Amino acid sequence: MHRLPFIVASDLFRSRHLLRLLVKRDLNARYRRAYLGYAWAVLEPLLLAIVYTLIFTILVGRSDPLYSVNVVIGIIGWTLFSRSLTTSTKSLGSSINLFQFARVPKTVFATSGTLTNAALALISLTSLIPFFFMHDLPVTVSLLMLPLWLLLISFTGWAIGLMLAPISCKIPDVLNLINFLVRAGFFLSPVMWTYDMFSTRFGDGWHAVVAHLNPTVVPITGMRDAMLGGTTAIPSYGYAMCFGTAVLAYVFGTIVFERQAHRAVVNI
Amino acid sequence: MSVMMRLEDVTLEYPVPRQYRKEDVLPSGIRNVSFEVNQGEVIGIIGQNGSGKSTLLKTMAGVFPPDSGRISTRGSVSLLAGVGVGFNKELTGRENAYLYGALMGRTKEQIDTLIDEIKSFAELKHHFDRPIRTYSSGMKSRLGISVATAFKPNLLLIDEVLGVGDISFREKSKKRVRNLMKSAGSVVIVSHSLSLLKEICDKIIVIENGEMAFSGNPSDALEFYGSLMNE
Repeated sequence: MHRLPFIVASDLFRSRHLLRLLVKRDLNARYRRAYLGYAWAVLEPLLLAIVYTLIFTILVGRSDPLYSVNVVIGIIGWTLFSRSLTTSTKSLGSSINLFQFARVPKTVFATSGTLTNAALALISLTSLIPFFFMHDLPVTVSLLMLPLWLLLISFTGWAIGLMLAPISCKIPDVLNLINFLVRAGFFLSPVMWTYDMFSTRFGDGWHAVVAHLNPTVVPITGMRDAMLGGTTAIPSYGYAMCFGTAVLAYVFGTIVFERQAHRAVVNI
Repeated sequence: MSVMMRLEDVTLEYPVPRQYRKEDVLPSGIRNVSFEVNQGEVIGIIGQNGSGKSTLLKTMAGVFPPDSGRISTRGSVSLLAGVGVGFNKELTGRENAYLYGALMGRTKEQIDTLIDEIKSFAELKHHFDRPIRTYSSGMKSRLGISVATAFKPNLLLIDEVLGVGDISFREKSKKRVRNLMKSAGSVVIVSHSLSLLKEICDKIIVIENGEMAFSGNPSDALEFYGSLMNE
């Protein structure tokens, strides 16, 4: 087994004080100039959900009362994944000015951005509280699974980003490709549609296998089940593909990053 | 006298952009640079714009790895490169000082004990608790020098920020660098202010087209640099 994935984990653990400070810095700076401050983390997914629900209801005529709740959860899950991916991919370029102060592991800067996004996702989830009262939704023990799905979705985005970060320094087009994938991925991920809607439409044949290649399908569905107390019938290969992608992305991401990042910054 | 950093035949060439690859363009960077920084020593680096001074400092700080050659370091190294570089403009001077301290491996308690000194040296008064984006470039430089010297790295690399501010602050900065030397820290300064370098440096290195053209005592180095300029 390669040593680099373990070295990265140990580097991050040793830098936990710095990580905490960097996350605090990012959170402080993010909404400092806005009058509504952190309320934007709640308002953003809520306003988007209103727009998408209206469009979807007009176009499809869907009248599921929980559709807007599903959209809010989808938006929060997808935003966390896409931000973790892009922050991690761009981390070498965006933090090069901090490398000069001291010899800190470069993974720290990719990780702090991802942790900041995870903290913002947690704040965004409070936008769901009114829906619990409006639809008289029960608070169940399955809610305890929510942190696991949030962790998994940001971990996967972060790990894929680690793999792409050194490549994006040498080939800037990678950043354009990521921007495209983030836009396209919004429609290819269960943001405006749910796992059940997909299964009803396409069944569980090869379409389902292809859909599970998207690492956000299972975690976003898991987030919905955790919040709404549902039990979506995800096949075991779906879980295996999702967790397998996360582990493989971490192993390859850390190896590529540790081997290439130091050299790649010369291109910035 | 113990060696804090040793550079042996260090070469770093930036990749030539694709559009210039067919032309006969020499890659910029530094080539075969070798010298030592001893404990408590202040070294100045001079050279024309684009000669490779800043690249040399970034390589010494570990921001860029050398293509070839070896850099061996003893103790902590910190680079202060440019006005406000590395500081977050949305955060206050105080918050940036804490961040810098954490990057230098200091605990919150250790930074707590230095924070008043940083504030008073930087002469920022109430601005210390205002976002950096409201600072003038002089204020940003004062904060940078104050923070970088307060945490006393074993080797401090300063790029073009020491000759800023009014006369009294420049005098204070010089005094601070001397104090750093006394506490066994070493300093390498890149500056276009030749009088400043002559005053505080033990040795000056002249960089020309990425190569070390001269290394010696300040008077000889400045004479050499002068003759290079007149060519």
